[in-house]
Amino acid sequence: MAVRTLDVGAASQILPVERPRGAALARFVRKKPLGAAGGFLVVVLVATAILANVLSTHNPVRTSNDILVAPGAPHWLGTDNLGRDLYSRVVHGSRISLLVGLASTLVGTILGGLIGLISGYAGGKTDLLAQRAMDIMQALPILVLALVLAAALGPSMTNAIVAISIPIVPRAARIIRASVLAIRETTYVEAARALGVRHMRVALRHILPNTMGPFIVLATAQLGGSILVEAALSFLGLGIPEPYPSWGRMLSIAAAEYAEKAPWLVIWPGLAISLAVFGTNLLGDALRDTLDPRLRGS
Amino acid sequence: MRAYITKRLLIAVVTLVGMSMVIFFLMRLAPGNIVDILFESAGYVDQADKKTLERELGVDRPLVVQYARWLGELAHGDLGKSYRYDMPAWRIIKPRLPVTLELASLALLFSILLGVPFGVLSAVHQDRPLDYVLRVLSLAGLSMPAFWLGMVVILVFVRSLGWMPSVTYVSPFVDLPANLWQFVVPALAVGYRSSALIMRITRSAMLEVLREDYIRTAWAKGQRRTLVVWRHALKNASLPVITVIGIEFAFLIGGLVVTETVFNLPGVARYLVDAIQLRDYPVVQNLTMLIAIVVVLANLAVDLLYAWADPRIKYEKA
Amino acid sequence: MTPLRRCVRFASLALVLVLALTLPAPAQAPKHGGVLTIHPLTAPPSLSPHEESTIATVQQVSACYSSLVYFDPAKKQESPDTIIPELAEKWSWQDNYRNLVFLLRKDVKWHDGKPLTSKDVKHTFDMVRGAADADAKLRINPRKLWYENVEAIEAPDPHTVVFRLKRPQPSLLLLLASGYSPIYPAHVPLADLKTTCVGTGPYKLKEYRPGEFVEYVRNPDYFIKGRPYLDGVKWVYIKDRSTQIAALQAGQLDVAGSGWNRANAETAKKGKPELVVVENDSNVNDNVLVNAKRAPLTDPRVRRAVNLALDRKAYLVGPRLGAATFGGAMQPRPSGVWGLPAAEVATLPGMGDPAKQKAEAKKLLAEAGFGPNNPMKLTVSTRALAIYVDTASWMVDQLRQVGIDAVLEQIETGVWHPKMTRLDFQVALNLTGTAVDDPDAMFFENYRCGSQRNFSGYCSEEIDRLMVEQSQTLDRAKRLKLVNEIDRKLQAEGARPILGWAKQYAVYWPRVKAFPQHENSIFNTSRFQDVWLDK
Repeated sequence: MAVRTLDVGAASQILPVERPRGAALARFVRKKPLGAAGGFLVVVLVATAILANVLSTHNPVRTSNDILVAPGAPHWLGTDNLGRDLYSRVVHGSRISLLVGLASTLVGTILGGLIGLISGYAGGKTDLLAQRAMDIMQALPILVLALVLAAALGPSMTNAIVAISIPIVPRAARIIRASVLAIRETTYVEAARALGVRHMRVALRHILPNTMGPFIVLATAQLGGSILVEAALSFLGLGIPEPYPSWGRMLSIAAAEYAEKAPWLVIWPGLAISLAVFGTNLLGDALRDTLDPRLRGS
Repeated sequence: MRAYITKRLLIAVVTLVGMSMVIFFLMRLAPGNIVDILFESAGYVDQADKKTLERELGVDRPLVVQYARWLGELAHGDLGKSYRYDMPAWRIIKPRLPVTLELASLALLFSILLGVPFGVLSAVHQDRPLDYVLRVLSLAGLSMPAFWLGMVVILVFVRSLGWMPSVTYVSPFVDLPANLWQFVVPALAVGYRSSALIMRITRSAMLEVLREDYIRTAWAKGQRRTLVVWRHALKNASLPVITVIGIEFAFLIGGLVVTETVFNLPGVARYLVDAIQLRDYPVVQNLTMLIAIVVVLANLAVDLLYAWADPRIKYEKA
Repeated sequence: MTPLRRCVRFASLALVLVLALTLPAPAQAPKHGGVLTIHPLTAPPSLSPHEESTIATVQQVSACYSSLVYFDPAKKQESPDTIIPELAEKWSWQDNYRNLVFLLRKDVKWHDGKPLTSKDVKHTFDMVRGAADADAKLRINPRKLWYENVEAIEAPDPHTVVFRLKRPQPSLLLLLASGYSPIYPAHVPLADLKTTCVGTGPYKLKEYRPGEFVEYVRNPDYFIKGRPYLDGVKWVYIKDRSTQIAALQAGQLDVAGSGWNRANAETAKKGKPELVVVENDSNVNDNVLVNAKRAPLTDPRVRRAVNLALDRKAYLVGPRLGAATFGGAMQPRPSGVWGLPAAEVATLPGMGDPAKQKAEAKKLLAEAGFGPNNPMKLTVSTRALAIYVDTASWMVDQLRQVGIDAVLEQIETGVWHPKMTRLDFQVALNLTGTAVDDPDAMFFENYRCGSQRNFSGYCSEEIDRLMVEQSQTLDRAKRLKLVNEIDRKLQAEGARPILGWAKQYAVYWPRVKAFPQHENSIFNTSRFQDVWLDK
């Protein structure tokens, strides 16, 4: 989180001063307990995804004759209608959610960020054109756009990532652009230009690092949203296909059919999604409060 | 003000045209054309018939021509034909409109009724336990998948509380109690999630306003706190809240899509999902365009409301 | 009174009492009135049965149409012996089963008032069989093959129809008795019939809301006097299964169960023990399409290994929740008429000891050059629908257990049939429901060289020849032997391995009376002319 300190003008009011890492973390936990809790949930999510094979008790795609068994050893969360262990499926589902969520968020925010950077820095006609293009993409609700894209492209992991990342692009572009606009007008940058520093260099070395704050906030906030959209797509049958266990898909087929007989099929995957998104949202909120005090108090 | 309005109108038009292009080309990404899909059900296709149909539907013309033709139809209010059901799309959409409108209105109402008071309370009690609780509750609402919330609600309400509304849509003009009985739970489910966003913006707007000098002056002058809060602060915080409601709309429609599916309400949003799953591409195209138009119009309305309410814009020099 | 007389009196009283108590009570007289609200399999793609291949359309439109003949709703097993007259009063085979003459009723009116004549029958079947001089043409014609053997159809007078066949075919009568063979009005444009219904059936179409409901009202001019008993029928579609169950339990639906499995039926009954649950066999089966033209399935050893790897007993427990029967290409007896004997079914691949069969599968794969260092890659395709995906997921796991690197490919409904027809797949999980439990329907549709619905591309001249031979065999015992022989050969070659035959469910309130359910078809019981409500 350490960023360069600019010693001129308004920029220094925006950017936090460098501090040793450990102390910053401790301060964060103390000042923003909710954010720390969110961070903890995110860490658990990532750890589960990485250690899925270790944490599982069964093979998540192995069917068996023990169908619709209630939670209890050896199936901690019960089994589904094909005799697959729910706990292991939920654990492995974290991989899909994290992978797809992270990939789409990164693709979307980086792409959008680049557009916002160029648009904000260049100004003029380029800016106007890019803005209108972003307006257009943003006019459609995220889920509708993702739905239509996924339907057009077909169900596969790559297509799902594309479908989920595209709605993020305009939102990312807008935020990064605002940030760039603020920095662009500082005396520091003016001076650099006056000294003859080339545009590319100014953009990359001076402006870009200072948008890191908003970028991190944006990425964390969108991660939760991406996980939700992936779940909704899978629920509607347009997301990641079998045999990869996806939380959203677990909720669509089995849950609807067997909700009465086996409510655990509905509860646990949904709870997993909610906790993952909740964690990223809490963390995102806290990060925004810390990194971008202009928005503090929201 | 006039310049502002003109600018906004222009932007809305440009956005709509741009959207139509995006939507049109998006639908062409799908493998196979509409004729392939029409013949799926039996797998028995007469090649000569296929060619005739392709010509009939204009699928053999260049894309630009097809696009122009589509725009022309839209301008005439022709929402095209559902190839799945072999009838004009309007015939299917028309009875579904009141359902979606009612669900959206009720959901919006609930989201404001929940969001604004919670936002105010949260701001007034900033950083105290009530604030934390409310923020966690609202964030929880945003974190839950809409369809999961719907499923859990159904499990609880239907199983435990015996809530079982009519299986077919009951118009409010025919039987108002039955109609409300049918809509109140799904509207709450959607409204709860939407209220989170409104609550957060209300809270931050309120916090800004509460810090203002004239508020502190009013308090110092001895005016009752609640009075000050609800009259002055809320009035000034209303502007950003109205903006959010505009943005809310898009979010709301996304929530409607899954909620109508889960609660079995025959609305337009659910028909979009059905059309996608049935590969009824002409309908998907037109419905998506319809949604886009609604969202752009809603945002335009908010912008115009802004122009009227915000004195900075009202008296802006041309 | 003398003691004898008293004795006799007493005895006769006692006798009357005993008889009254032990004789079955006379059946309740059916009551008129009420609207039956029933849940379908899914929303119908259109209202024209001749242009669709799904039960969804047939079940929701049977109330509106009539066929020449029909299967008796009250008799559970459909067979040539349960055919009853509908539009045809009488019929007669002539010239050693080469000509079929129908004498139509004279008092039948279409729902718009016009009278039914032989012209309508000729119009319908000329259209379906794709006759060169037909006055209408079906854009999509899934059952053209059924009438391939029809040389010509004559209508010598307004109430007589003659089907002239190229060769004897006793089964033609059964094909005409199916819900897929309604008579269309010659005076209504074909295109209209996709979104509306003009028929001669017991109910008239009131309103059709696509994706929501299909509503019928009683036809007061129905040609069977005193029928139907109901005032109307409403097919209401609810997408979510648990909401369907809840709606039934709340009494909002009178009947549900189409497409349900055993768990759904049990759940419904658990919440409301008064509900009547009827479980029956059906002629719907899960089968595996094996594309013998695509590597590595060109190798018969590989094909057999795939068949052996699929443990049928596990299939029964998992995907079917204990509700299925096993058989070959024809529905197994006793509910099916033409199935292989049970002892023989038990020896089919996949039926034996799973460990042994999987070991044998591994051995075959090794012989074909596959093993742990060179696993065989296989894509299992299926339709992107819940019932298909579950079973296909199970299949993928079974294949992985013998070392095949299997993955699942979900294909959207819109692209499924073209993909299958083009043989653009390796292995696919398919669900087949045949309208009539008859070899002429089953074999010709699914195994004949070049048939549109022969999705596995299977072709054998010998089998084709045997098929035609059995179709012409008049002696039932001889025919059964021939049919079993064909079935045996098909199973030995693994042409289209059958996983199992599904069961069907109807769950309804006790007030619903005379609700028909057959044990070897799901397609021919939705006319509802005899159903009544005890309200």
